[in-house]
Amino acid sequence: MMSVSLNINGRDRSVNVDGADTLLDVLREQVGLLGTKEGCVEGECGACTVLIDGAPVDSCIYAAAAAGGRQVTTIEGLARPGDYSPIQQAFIDGGGVQCGFCTPGFIVTLTALLRRNPDPSRDEINNALSGNICRCTGYSQIIEAALLVAAAATSTPTPAGAVAQ
Amino acid sequence: MDFRSLRSLDEVLAALAELGDAACVLAGGTDVMVQLGRGEIAPQTLVHIEHVGELSAISCNGHVRLGATATHSSIAESPAILNSYGSLAAAAASVGGWQTQSVGTIGGNIANASPAADLLPPLLVHGAVVSLSSASGSRTLSIDQLLTGRRSTACAADELIVAVDLEPVGARTADAFVKVGRRSAMEVSIVALAVRLTLDETMTTVTDARIALASCGPMAFRATEAEAALIGTTLDDDALRAAGAALGNRAQLIDDVRATAAYRRRLIPRVLGKAVAECRQTIVNRSESQT
Amino acid sequence: MTMVGDSIARSDAGAKVQGGAMYGVDHREVGMLHGAILRSPVAAGRIVSLDTSAAEALAGVYLVCSAADQPETMAGWVLKDQRLFATGNVRFEGEPIALVVAEDRATALAGVAAIALVIDELPGVDLETACSSEARVIHPDWQSYVPAGGEAADYPRRGNVAAEMRAEPAGVDEAFARAAQVIEDRFTTNRQYQAYLEPKAAVATYADGRYTIHTSVQHPYNVRERVAQLLGVRVSAVRVVGKTIGGGFGGKLDASVEPIAAFAAKLTGRPVKIRNTRTEDILTCPSRENAIVTMRTALDADGVMIARDVTVEMDNGAFSAEMPWLASLPLHILGAIYELAGPTRVISRLWYTNTAPTGAFRGVGGTYLYMALEQHTDHIANTLLVDRLQFRRAHLIHDGSASLSGQVLGDAGILAEGYDELERVAPWQQVLADLKPWQGVGIASGVWMTNPMPGQATVKMNEDGTVHVITGATENGSGALTMGVTQIVAHELGVNAANVYVTMPDTDVSGYDAGSQGSRTTHIVGRAALDAAIEVKRQLFDVAANLLEADPADLTIVDGRVSVVGSPAVSIDIADVANAALWTVGAVAATSSYTSPAIPFDAGCGSGVLFTTMSTPTYHVHMAVVEIDPVTGRVKIVRYVVIQEVGRAINPVGVRGQIQGAVTQGIGLALYESLRIGADCRYLERSLEAYRLPLALDIPEVEIVLMEHPDTNGPFGAKGVAEPAVVFAPAAIINAVSHALGRSITALPVTPEEVLSIIEEIEGEA
Ligand SMILES: Cc1cc2nc3c(=O)[nH]c(=O)nc-3n(C[C@H](O)[C@H](O)[C@H](O)COP(=O)(O)OP(=O)(O)OC[C@H]3O[C@@H](n4cnc5c(N)ncnc54)[C@H](O)[C@@H]3O)c2cc1C
Ligand code: FES
Ligand code: FES
Repeated sequence: MMSVSLNINGRDRSVNVDGADTLLDVLREQVGLLGTKEGCVEGECGACTVLIDGAPVDSCIYAAAAAGGRQVTTIEGLARPGDYSPIQQAFIDGGGVQCGFCTPGFIVTLTALLRRNPDPSRDEINNALSGNICRCTGYSQIIEAALLVAAAATSTPTPAGAVAQ
Repeated sequence: MDFRSLRSLDEVLAALAELGDAACVLAGGTDVMVQLGRGEIAPQTLVHIEHVGELSAISCNGHVRLGATATHSSIAESPAILNSYGSLAAAAASVGGWQTQSVGTIGGNIANASPAADLLPPLLVHGAVVSLSSASGSRTLSIDQLLTGRRSTACAADELIVAVDLEPVGARTADAFVKVGRRSAMEVSIVALAVRLTLDETMTTVTDARIALASCGPMAFRATEAEAALIGTTLDDDALRAAGAALGNRAQLIDDVRATAAYRRRLIPRVLGKAVAECRQTIVNRSESQT
Repeated sequence: MTMVGDSIARSDAGAKVQGGAMYGVDHREVGMLHGAILRSPVAAGRIVSLDTSAAEALAGVYLVCSAADQPETMAGWVLKDQRLFATGNVRFEGEPIALVVAEDRATALAGVAAIALVIDELPGVDLETACSSEARVIHPDWQSYVPAGGEAADYPRRGNVAAEMRAEPAGVDEAFARAAQVIEDRFTTNRQYQAYLEPKAAVATYADGRYTIHTSVQHPYNVRERVAQLLGVRVSAVRVVGKTIGGGFGGKLDASVEPIAAFAAKLTGRPVKIRNTRTEDILTCPSRENAIVTMRTALDADGVMIARDVTVEMDNGAFSAEMPWLASLPLHILGAIYELAGPTRVISRLWYTNTAPTGAFRGVGGTYLYMALEQHTDHIANTLLVDRLQFRRAHLIHDGSASLSGQVLGDAGILAEGYDELERVAPWQQVLADLKPWQGVGIASGVWMTNPMPGQATVKMNEDGTVHVITGATENGSGALTMGVTQIVAHELGVNAANVYVTMPDTDVSGYDAGSQGSRTTHIVGRAALDAAIEVKRQLFDVAANLLEADPADLTIVDGRVSVVGSPAVSIDIADVANAALWTVGAVAATSSYTSPAIPFDAGCGSGVLFTTMSTPTYHVHMAVVEIDPVTGRVKIVRYVVIQEVGRAINPVGVRGQIQGAVTQGIGLALYESLRIGADCRYLERSLEAYRLPLALDIPEVEIVLMEHPDTNGPFGAKGVAEPAVVFAPAAIINAVSHALGRSITALPVTPEEVLSIIEEIEGEA
């Protein structure tokens, strides 16, 4: 066992792990963050997606020790309870959630996408989501939620000054 | 299991020299962690190389060099790769999903040497040369020398893949990558094929052809017989048929959970035809856009 | 004001988008131990020895138990043919043999690995072998098994035939004898895994002679009964508490790990958690059955269909779960779209095999039965050189048509209306004319039903004017409770939907419910809740009438205030009414139950007809346009149209989500998903890598047209919505692929392999 210092949702936290322990197990069993879900432990479903330094990663096949010193963002770190991020709000409003077990993974992946590309096309969204499986919704309402956020972001007038950059 | 997260190449090489077989290099971990979870491997120590800054760059000083920990995402998005090595960019963009691509590396894909490794066909057709380092020295091997069998390579236990160099792409040359899977993404290839084609100045006759296949044998391979069947031809139907047949003959096909050998046999000439057509089209398009 | 028909946000969405919803697998108890199950590695055999001493010796192991420790009781949903652990023999890969309980999961798994198990393996019996009748009898003791409903409820079964339904009207053989031609097809379908995203898990505790189980199941009362049967206790000794369900689709209707966890909790005196790995889940889940359907239709010289003869062989797996009931399904489906000018014989048999027990998956066998019927219908139309759409329309059932069980379908004319709607959104000749090379179009249509089983709901007015709905029904993700029932109650009581809370099920507290299956929850539980809400409203009006000095008949509730119709100024907050009631008539609350009325049928229609009629029928027309990649044989869905009768769409966004999601599962069955059974009777697909679920990239946006013919019994007219779109999708898609290729397609799913081999056949002919 070794001690690793993780930064999870902006807080430093040290955990005791074995080298083979997955980040998913450590988040769920040691840190007590249960919002990140486990669907396969093989990198196939994306239910366990977290952001590591802003990039989406399947935490079920990522060593917790490898995340030492890096910024880990889980579903719990995207907004305060009840204070929904735009993509969370769009899921709520547009039917993007059914059983919800895939939802944290989808929200995390789409958060990464929208940060990189505030105005993604349907194709770009589909591609970004190829590592996330939803068994309930048939995806349409999830994709529309992302498009809605994109549309809202692009229709907001650019603040003065931002143009110069 | 011990874990060493290292920051410099020298530290990594020292660790590998010290631990030998007891070590397992961990890059993005998308193969290693799955194999650990299934109990297929049980190393004593994981040597984590993801943060070795000097290993991750994609540079193009004269020719293109990819650091071993360049991720599939960075390869798929790199302008240098997209411009001249579209097949490699396409292969990288087809590895798993975004989550796999954001951490999975070219070094891991090569070293894992899966029969279905998608980056290998493009690397084979682009004459990739792999640089290996150990505490006692460095050497280079061409990618086909490096691959020795199903999940096996010439990379010794104390060696690390540090970089991959690609052969420059000349005039009237284009490449293509075709991957067949059941779904539109997230597929281990049923067949993956890369072609690199060069036409003569009249844009009709093939002066160079390179063809490589994955998922059609214990390891990815270049099919020189099929290449020979195209060189000197105008890509007429007979030539394509002969190349397809030669490619099929080189393949050692099996039934597995993804597909039958019979399906793969049917696919091979068809995907070859598609990839060759794509290459030719790209060459024609490029020359038209120049004139 | 949120009302029925509005697309309000579901009440559980906020927690779900923020990772706050707690699922079965998330539940934990103080002092909890972890169980891991040793499962049979082979499909069939005799247990020669089981040495658990090495596991027991491991540090951290609390308990190892197996058949030697289990109660002497038999259990089962329809037939009691099951035990807790494999006893003497193993009958499918994945069957529980022993349990190791340890202080953590890793130790429990290590314990399982340390058990020395010797099995004398036998050749497994699969469906083809079972049907050949030479097969070894899988349950030599089958005669001693008793139906869950008692001896009197027994039904036709013998040896490996786990159930048999025969409907043999007179005249079939005669008609075939005089037929001018006979169209014959044989269809096969593979298993489909529910593949809900949350693998099964349960936490059990034991105290004071009672078991409490926290789990995410679709049918808590059924799980309670199964646990009681397996442990040999009465049902009230078991309490099942529901957690948020990470998908079920029928796979979580029956017990799985719950009884074993409960057993271990008693033996250890500690809470015990068991959860499936994805592979365990695949191996043991009651998947949609594989089946073989043969269908023959006799045509006279004028092309009139004068008789039909259908045989369906269904795979039951090693034990009977819900399947004996479903063996009657072919009878209903096969008479429910087209009228023939003669009799139809249907024989369906359910076979024991050495494979995992099969069960219900959304739309059950309707998926492959409609695929077979509709592909056969195309075959007939093509043979007669009649346009496929025209042929269908000419033979559609109509108002008053009778099903093969003699049920009169009073509103079957909705089907023709569905075809009219299809013509409106996708004019047939236009669709045909617009097809590009390698494209094809397919149509499928028919009737589906709403499960009639009973449910209860209690509506309770809180002192702050909010409302609780207490029910044993479950929210499996469909929104039936968090949208449907919530909106129905809010609408009736004139309160904001945000002020209506539907509780999680708890068999100690909430009334009986038959589970989220068969599209029943909004219809059945919604009706029970509506009736209870009507009574609650009556109680409120009685109290308010005194407070407002008005006649109860003149009162209404708007925005949470009771007021006098016509004089809105005379009003009172319902919170004040609820408070006042505490001191007079007592707390405002009411309980109501509902089950669909029994439907007359012809008792002489056949033997072994365990389920007799289709309750609250709905009608559906689907159209698919596909495109084939001639290089790879892959099929892409280019366009998908659903015309669906829903009674009344309580929440249009929710209805759309059900249809889009169900079509996606149908696309999965048609093109991607199959649990294949290997020569050794073990599944070939054992992970989500091998078992391919459709991705966003694979799915088109479904065009949806809703038809609304309100049901007189359903709450605000609602009928079942969630299942039907999966039922017709494989049929429409297979017909489209068949059209594109000009060849019959006889297997589900249709694989690129098969398509490419057909393409090469065609190229060879050219
Ligand atoms: C869900 C999923 C989908 C996938 N889909 C595909 C796919 O479509 N196509 C495909 O080709 N692959 C696929 N893979 C496999 C995998 O992602 C790739 O092979 C990836 O490139 C491996 O890189 P990595 O950095 O993650 O390797 P790791 O797992 O870290 O390492 C893989 C192997 O390489 C060794 N190694 C790593 N780096 C070096 C080095 N620099 N020098 C020497 N040895 C080294 C390791 O010791 C190990 O043996 C998939 C994996 C998952 C989980
Ligand atoms: S649990 Fe990590 S990808 Fe499925
Ligand atoms: S909402 Fe259930 S899996 Fe996506």
